Amino acid sequence: MTVSAPPLPRQRVGGRLVAGAFGVCAVVAAVAASSFTGQEPVPGIPMPSPIVSAGLPIVRVLLDVAAVAVVGLSLLPKLLGFDDPERTEPVLIRVRQLAVTAAWAWAICALLTIVFQAAELNPGGVPTFGMIAAYVSDVGTGQGLLFSAACALAAAGIGLMAVRFGEKVPAELRVIVALFGLLPIPVTGHAVNSVWHDPLMVSMEIHVIGAAAWTGGLVATAVFVAPHRELLAVVLPKFSRMATVCLLMVGLSGLITGLGTMALTPGVTLPGAIVTSPYGVLLVVKTLLMASLVPLAAHIRFRLLPAVRQGRATALVGWAAAEVAVMGLAYGVAVAITRASIG
Amino acid sequence: MEGFEVLRRLLTVLLLACAAVGVLPPAAQAHNVLIGSDPKDGATLSASPERVTLVFDQAVRQGYAQVGVTGADGSSWADGAAVVAAERVSVKVKPLRAGGSYVVGYRILSADGHPVTGKITFGLAADASGVAAGRPGADAPGAAAGETAQGSSAEAAEAAANGGAGMAVVWIVGALLVLAAGTAVALRRSAPAGGLGAAADVHVPGDERTRS
Repeated sequence: MTVSAPPLPRQRVGGRLVAGAFGVCAVVAAVAASSFTGQEPVPGIPMPSPIVSAGLPIVRVLLDVAAVAVVGLSLLPKLLGFDDPERTEPVLIRVRQLAVTAAWAWAICALLTIVFQAAELNPGGVPTFGMIAAYVSDVGTGQGLLFSAACALAAAGIGLMAVRFGEKVPAELRVIVALFGLLPIPVTGHAVNSVWHDPLMVSMEIHVIGAAAWTGGLVATAVFVAPHRELLAVVLPKFSRMATVCLLMVGLSGLITGLGTMALTPGVTLPGAIVTSPYGVLLVVKTLLMASLVPLAAHIRFRLLPAVRQGRATALVGWAAAEVAVMGLAYGVAVAITRASIG
Repeated sequence: MEGFEVLRRLLTVLLLACAAVGVLPPAAQAHNVLIGSDPKDGATLSASPERVTLVFDQAVRQGYAQVGVTGADGSSWADGAAVVAAERVSVKVKPLRAGGSYVVGYRILSADGHPVTGKITFGLAADASGVAAGRPGADAPGAAAGETAQGSSAEAAEAAANGGAGMAVVWIVGALLVLAAGTAVALRRSAPAGGLGAAADVHVPGDERTRS
């Protein structure tokens, strides 16, 4: 029985680079974009403390990062396939354990976000348990985050069973539970008061799910599969097809939701508001980030993929790190968009 | 083939997901926008107003609205807490000084759960006299009491529409404890297998699936 060699130290560094690039870019972009859209102090109204206004975007973006990790790690068994356990099991053992840890981080970030948002609404002091409970029972965002945390905990539970029983726990189940946890996330963003509310919400769901599958799949592939050439030759073509669909879905749904939300908000005139309102400016930034992903993705798809198929060495990790860094920036900007003022 | 399989399943999941949107905690309606006020933004009044009213494009959530009326020297002129009546948020104002300029700052909880802050300004003409008579809302005690009553009943209806958060918290705390114990046990058990090298784990008797 042959087992593929453990990854070389250099390649481990490559994996850390990819995962680190995503996390760091996401947090930096969230903080930068949120300070750009921060609400100005208004006379006569107490403002939330700096800890809350700085901590909220960080906690919120860490929620996204953890959720992306869970989705990506849950997708990986599907991408690797189940035909060659001697080669895939050494990889999957680590993947399953990390998925449980990431699901825990997701749940904790979701609950922390509830606490921070309750604190934001009750400025001047640490929120009491009563305030948090009132926030959850009054505000849809609180309920949505609670649902997300519950799904994350379910993902952790199923992930634990997968750690114990291996691939006997269906990979699809893990993927579905993780994606379900993403569903309430759009509730934390803007909504419009119109008959188009539901279509825009569905468009937003597609956006969130597509982005998570695309980003998570790429990070997981680059970190765990790239060091094993034979596995990469199987995984990357599959991922590439999925990524093409995700790219189209994410781009289209993002434009539809962003422009639709602006068009349906009273007092906003398009196209002027695109450059004058914080929401519009962030929308432009995100569109540019999305556009810069296309050549990076195309390079991996059309230049590197043929070589990977033949099992040749490629600079995949470097290109994936660049693409993932841009995705991280887009996630950070997304956090600010959910809270930016439209008008 | 396998790639198409992954795709097809993913699309199935997406469809399921879209169907599930309907059963989720209802996404609150929308983002509130200030569409008008009394007095108007930038207005110069000839008499001190009884109260300041802000009008939004849709109902404002109960319980989190704050309105402050601040003079040029930083003094506060609002008299009591803000009252929410559907899309109108108002606060009583102490008699204002003639010739002063005032900033009305507000912070409300938008229907979609975002705090919305903003301000409008107004001033009093130098020859302004006493409290304005006959302004809408100035027929004071009755109207104010009516608004308050309306406000509290709306609050009750809102609370009734939402389930109790208490039970959810109990469930989550319970699930957290069980999962924490499970994580500790399972990760500790699987750690030696990972440490000894992957080959050893493929031979674990309970793990037939990996061999089949």
